[in-house]
Amino acid sequence: MNSGPSKTAEAIVAVFVPPACREEVLGDLHERYSSSGQYGLDAVRTIPLVIISRIRRTADPQVLLMQAFAWYASFLGAAWLKDRTFLSEPWGLLRLAIPAGMATLGLILEDAYAKPGRRSPLKLARGPVLGLGLALASQGMFRISNPDLALPTWITFYGCALSLLLLSAVWMLFPPATDQLQGSNVPADWLKQSSGSLGNAGTSTRAIKGVAAIVAVVIFGTWMANRAALPKARIVTLLLVLLIAYQVWKRG
Amino acid sequence: MAKPDSLGQFEQLVLTAILTLREDAYGVTIHAKVQELARPKAVSLGAVYVTLDRLEDKGLVASWMSDPTPERGGRAKRCYRLEALGERALQESAITAKRIWDVIAEVWGKEWAREWGKRWGKEAG
Repeated sequence: MNSGPSKTAEAIVAVFVPPACREEVLGDLHERYSSSGQYGLDAVRTIPLVIISRIRRTADPQVLLMQAFAWYASFLGAAWLKDRTFLSEPWGLLRLAIPAGMATLGLILEDAYAKPGRRSPLKLARGPVLGLGLALASQGMFRISNPDLALPTWITFYGCALSLLLLSAVWMLFPPATDQLQGSNVPADWLKQSSGSLGNAGTSTRAIKGVAAIVAVVIFGTWMANRAALPKARIVTLLLVLLIAYQVWKRG
Repeated sequence: MAKPDSLGQFEQLVLTAILTLREDAYGVTIHAKVQELARPKAVSLGAVYVTLDRLEDKGLVASWMSDPTPERGGRAKRCYRLEALGERALQESAITAKRIWDVIAEVWGKEWAREWGKRWGKEAG
């Protein structure tokens, strides 16, 4: 009789299975083990569907759309600030969407692979950082393989810096569904329905509040900059940092 | 009382498997039962997980973690049971299937229905 898969094989499989369902999926695969080949094939067939199911449970389409928009707006803003001619280049606007898309993918994966339960503000910041990492990695790949698709260096860096601020604000105003979990067995969908912060009505209210807060910060910053004759970008950035710091303090 | 959503064919199979397995309904056993019910179609374990998650989100089944067992490498099982809403959804599906069967049998004749009944009997036996 076969005893079970090797520790190495199980460790490799465990890396790919989201922590929220790792225990039962690894246990089930272990129980079905008959040979190394069968175990590997079983894992390859099962894990993608497990990840998709986890993403379906953790991703909130409304918040995700807002985050994707924030990413794109950051790179668009960076292009507008650093090199406006880039926006009129052929495929310029589409090229800006590539890092934004990769960064959104990073956020989705971070959310799906997060351990259920409330996360500290610092752990919450991992999502935007991972998103940025993927955006930068995609740009690096394009620079090597197809430079026509890569963004100019300064637009990339300014876009990353802007998006880190904007996304951290959005991420903290709309915490991921897994953060609402009080127990690992509770489906995110129920939490979305029962929780004021992520329910349909709750999300709309918080979305309006969040957008209003960011718009207020931008308007107030612009007004302050005009009065003090300081660069607008610096004031707006400072206020966004203050907003994030307030969120971190409130959550901490 | 909440009205259950209508079920897809695969959801019906998974709910039937949970109903049959009772206390012993978890990933591996549910997959084996669904495989048996869906034959000759092959069913992947991943598809069963996706459906179980969806059924749980709809409130048709509930899950809990059992104690770890040595044959699973010291890992726990996620066990499932039907909720009242799930039982009602399954009943409705069965009633609809019965209606479809009755209408087909009426149109295609009693001989045909008897023939199919015999085939199913052989399969079950």
